[in-house]
Amino acid sequence: MRETAGKLLAEGTVDVVIGYGRLETGAVGAVFVTKVADVDKLVWNDECHQDLVVYLTRKETKKLGRPAVVVKGCDARAAVVLANESQISLSDVYLIGMVCPGMKNTKAANDASGNLPLYDRCLTCQDRVPRHVNAVIGDEAKTNLLSPEEAATKGNFARLAKLRAMSPQERLDWWSHEFSRCVKCYACRQNCPLCYCNQCVADKNRPVRIDTSSTLKGNFAWNILRAFHLAGRCVGCGACANACPAGIDLDLLNLTLAMTAEKEFGHVSGREVGTAPLIGSFSEQDKEDFIR
Amino acid sequence: MSQIITREQLKSLISELVKADTLVAAPVATEKGTCFFQYVNESARVVLDAGTSVANSIKEFFFPRHEEICRFVRQANDVVVTDAPVFDKRQVIFGVRPCEASSLPVLDPLFAWDYQDRFYQSRRANTTVVSFACTHTDPHCFCSDMGGSPDNASGSDALLFDLGDGSFEVRTFSDKGKALFEGRTSSSDRTGKACEAPAKTLDLDAIRHWIDAHFNDPMWDEETYRCVGCGACTYSCPTCHCFDIVDEGSFAKGKRVKNWDSCQSALFTLHASGHNPRGTQGQRQRQRISHKFSIYPAKFKVFLCTGCGNCTRVCSTSLGVKPMLDKIADKTKQK
Repeated sequence: MRETAGKLLAEGTVDVVIGYGRLETGAVGAVFVTKVADVDKLVWNDECHQDLVVYLTRKETKKLGRPAVVVKGCDARAAVVLANESQISLSDVYLIGMVCPGMKNTKAANDASGNLPLYDRCLTCQDRVPRHVNAVIGDEAKTNLLSPEEAATKGNFARLAKLRAMSPQERLDWWSHEFSRCVKCYACRQNCPLCYCNQCVADKNRPVRIDTSSTLKGNFAWNILRAFHLAGRCVGCGACANACPAGIDLDLLNLTLAMTAEKEFGHVSGREVGTAPLIGSFSEQDKEDFIR
Repeated sequence: MSQIITREQLKSLISELVKADTLVAAPVATEKGTCFFQYVNESARVVLDAGTSVANSIKEFFFPRHEEICRFVRQANDVVVTDAPVFDKRQVIFGVRPCEASSLPVLDPLFAWDYQDRFYQSRRANTTVVSFACTHTDPHCFCSDMGGSPDNASGSDALLFDLGDGSFEVRTFSDKGKALFEGRTSSSDRTGKACEAPAKTLDLDAIRHWIDAHFNDPMWDEETYRCVGCGACTYSCPTCHCFDIVDEGSFAKGKRVKNWDSCQSALFTLHASGHNPRGTQGQRQRQRISHKFSIYPAKFKVFLCTGCGNCTRVCSTSLGVKPMLDKIADKTKQK
């Protein structure tokens, strides 16, 4: 990875490599390498959970010039969605794809063997080898992938199944309890690679579309709206849930919609380049007849 | 002689307070084990452990994230405005860290300056703060630099020291604190002790001087590329206090409310013309750091930070105040 990054910078293919580094606080997070001499700052390990694709649409990082970005399988899918939605051109960015063993959940308690467990979305991941990237680094044989059938019963899918087994009232109570902690800091939105709107509907104040108040009503409005806006778009990278200071399982809302998109429309976001966005397209073969 | 109370007695105290219609806030664990300060209606779920790390700040019990200021109703050609009632309950907050409690004396002058903020002041007057002296620190703690310590009593009505056997030494510092524990403690010759204070590393005068002289330094942009511009740092900060006033409801009737706002959001300073005087995330970080370490102390003679480290703990990119101060400290040493 460092070699690739160094070569790209030395040859002038890119101006900045957005990758993972050991930060001054001891955590692993985004570093912005613009000089060949600094490529040693880049690291790759099982703490690289942040989705760095979020920086591709930030104006502060655009100023740094042509970017290369270190991506995992899920992050690569986010970059493909950005391309499919005409927000970036894949020919203008260099995606350094890392074969991913799954990331450690640094917020969880140690498991029985004294290690941090993987994020449960990593346990069920089907994208350990990034696709549509410019380089794939790592041993593809060591990805330790669960079969889709097995994955569907574990990790985040199991967490969702537990929710779905509840009665509607129980489920509403559960979400009310979770959303009561939301402070509307918008960490979910800001960390999401696909929340790139120039003006978010939550920021519209002439007139106000969603209460800015962090009341249960305002919190439901915001979180449900965001989930719907990510329907058929979310790639399940988990950046929203990881960033939430209130520890709300936002990924479950998005997972429900992603499963629906796949089941009803055969759509898996970011899997293929050139796919029309699910919400932004229609088919005459649609099973609902209102469309014809 | 010291005064002792057991954890079970503390839980009974909470139950009694709740029954007597007193609002009680304390750390409560979620399913996943993370603790948050929340209002409780029974003592069962409360975590009363001096070592508990709590993810949110106690500020929302003094300066709620959402608060009604007044209501309005349109009648014929007139608008009738009714003031929101002043907070008149009693509330007690348990399990507060000294760095959180010490934010209250920092905020007091702000809410009693040109405008006497009755919303804050009534909550402050009616609240008893019961803190736990710290039993450990983590790498994000820097209370020593900000004049605090693991057993700092500032802002606390009572400070409890964990004796390690399910009991606590109680020290009270105000009439409210004394009244709360009156007749509930037993005498003992045992005394508690807080953990060691984090090392002091910062020269705040030099940092303040650097901030004042480097408004346009490229550092602000260069060192903040990783900030994604959410408000988690400001909303978890016990001293950040910015708010927005908005009207909710319809043309016919509604309410005017005060909601938390964050200087880290681009919308915070966006002008109606479309111009944004703080157009980059670096400029917004500069504002936050300058406000805490230069602007506020110039006005109120106290830093707007207690070194609690909440901002860095909640930050998805591990930024926050201390990493920024360290970067500035490096700059001050370069010359």
